[in-house]
Amino acid sequence: MGATIAEKIVARAAGRDRVTPGEYVMVTPDVSVGHEMFWPLHDRHMKAIGIERFRKPEKVVLVIDHTPLAALDSPYVKTHQELRDFVRRTGFRNFFDVGRGGLRHQVMIERGFARPGMLVFSDEGNIASLGAVGALNFPISWEVIVPMITDANWVVVPHTARFTLTGSLPRGTMARDLVHVINREFGETDLLLQGCVEFAGPGLSTLSMDARQGLLSGMYHCGADTAVMPVDDLARAYVEARAEGRPWAAVESDPDAHFVLERSYDLSAIEPCVTMPPEQHTVVPARELHGTRVEHASIGTCANNRLEDLRAAAEVLRGRRVAPHVALYVSPGSPEVYSAAAAEGVLSVLSDAGAMILAPGCNTCFGYVGALSAGQTAISTQQQNYHGRSGSPEARIFLGSPYVVAASAVAGEIRDPREMLEAAR
Amino acid sequence: MTTRIEGRAFVFGDHVSGDNGIIEFGVIRDFTKPFDEKGLGAMCFSRVDPRFPAAFGPGDIVVAGRNFAHHSHPQVAVSLKAAGLGCVVCESTETGFLRKCLNIGFPLVTCRGIAALTVEGDVLAVDLAAGTVENRRTGDVLRTAAYSPRMLGMITAGGLIPFLKAELAA
Repeated sequence: MGATIAEKIVARAAGRDRVTPGEYVMVTPDVSVGHEMFWPLHDRHMKAIGIERFRKPEKVVLVIDHTPLAALDSPYVKTHQELRDFVRRTGFRNFFDVGRGGLRHQVMIERGFARPGMLVFSDEGNIASLGAVGALNFPISWEVIVPMITDANWVVVPHTARFTLTGSLPRGTMARDLVHVINREFGETDLLLQGCVEFAGPGLSTLSMDARQGLLSGMYHCGADTAVMPVDDLARAYVEARAEGRPWAAVESDPDAHFVLERSYDLSAIEPCVTMPPEQHTVVPARELHGTRVEHASIGTCANNRLEDLRAAAEVLRGRRVAPHVALYVSPGSPEVYSAAAAEGVLSVLSDAGAMILAPGCNTCFGYVGALSAGQTAISTQQQNYHGRSGSPEARIFLGSPYVVAASAVAGEIRDPREMLEAAR
Repeated sequence: MTTRIEGRAFVFGDHVSGDNGIIEFGVIRDFTKPFDEKGLGAMCFSRVDPRFPAAFGPGDIVVAGRNFAHHSHPQVAVSLKAAGLGCVVCESTETGFLRKCLNIGFPLVTCRGIAALTVEGDVLAVDLAAGTVENRRTGDVLRTAAYSPRMLGMITAGGLIPFLKAELAA
């Protein structure tokens, strides 16, 4: 029997011909990535073990992305300095300080650290966005210090579910809406747990690299450990422009590979959706929530912080104003996204509409800035909507695409974006 | 710590949230300090059922349904251990949560069928190396995925960091 993309990548990293889903195996990663919030833990753990340096520093990437604004009372002001001290002390090169990288998801793909066929250890499941270039992310929380200091770690070989995409997204919908549809189907089940979602089908070619990354990053929240896509011409061109001569080798699933489950999704049948708090599988069409007043709106985060996402927001916001009772925050994913959006005039459209443009980073998602107060209702492109995620536990967080969030910010209540987009034509 | 655990069971349902159930996310935003084990233990499961954690005794076992502790930061595992629990046996959980438990030397096993075969107060015997869970009252023995030698090592060492320290010193 053949092997899936995930099985092939794990087998290669384990130095084996093949591996079996559910098996525990030791692998040598191609790269490991971490962020500043876990640095104090990493530092304590390295001291406890008696290790001062990474085993293969060229295979490690560290990014300040959760707390880019070192605010006066933040405990992470000290962390920033401790991380910089480590970088100076050890001569570590792949460090992306504030203003240099943005979200580590973006650093990894934009700077060519993640390439086809690579096995990546990271601290979180959203980094499955790297599957857009055929790299396989294993989210291991603070344990990511292990591959950093030993150049090895264990994984459970994931089983693979295949989602075949057909058709193309209608106007006013985005790949984010497909995430909602998948979450509605799987979020309350355990069918994807300890597994990998592999996307396939002709619908894939209709999705941009930005859309693919957002889609992949959402699979963790549907239960999967990770997610990946085959490398097509679009992905290949993206990688070639960024690999700078570094090696890569794309892998694809064999025709007789085993998929633990298969689903097909017709992109043409998808409509703008919203997830209701506090779980992620309670998804309804956006139009059913018209009249739900919002005071806070946020566009960005690992799900939707890329150029296409900001363009979508600008499509809605051009010539319009954010409702007087709403604060709209926009966090570009990286300096590259920020600059491109500025060069296109997207940022000025957003700013003119009354949006607050923040530094590239996680920002509002975990309430580091723009925190929610008790009684507030937010609509956001972030992926987590449980009580207290972005500030007060007495606030509510609805989730939607950049189109939905922008339209809701203008209307001052949750709004299907299609009417505004039609009027904008 | 041993890799055979015996304890009294408390049974919970499907889909118990980690950050929004076992603990509260709002209290864990500061990662710069060592985890507040006492505080995390004192809130363990209190938002799911106010009987807890007072009703938990040392070494008790949490039996839970599908998708246990979804959305979990590392402090969720710390909370379970600090509450004095001996083990979690659940129908299913994500790999990430299994890792978070292992890394602090707290055993968690996934075991299909356990929720339906257990009532509160049953005594369960869990053998991590053999991959079995026995209900002492009914005599039922269910299979789980046996821990690998490395995973057993982390449990007996009391967590990932002491395990790694010994491994690297060897």
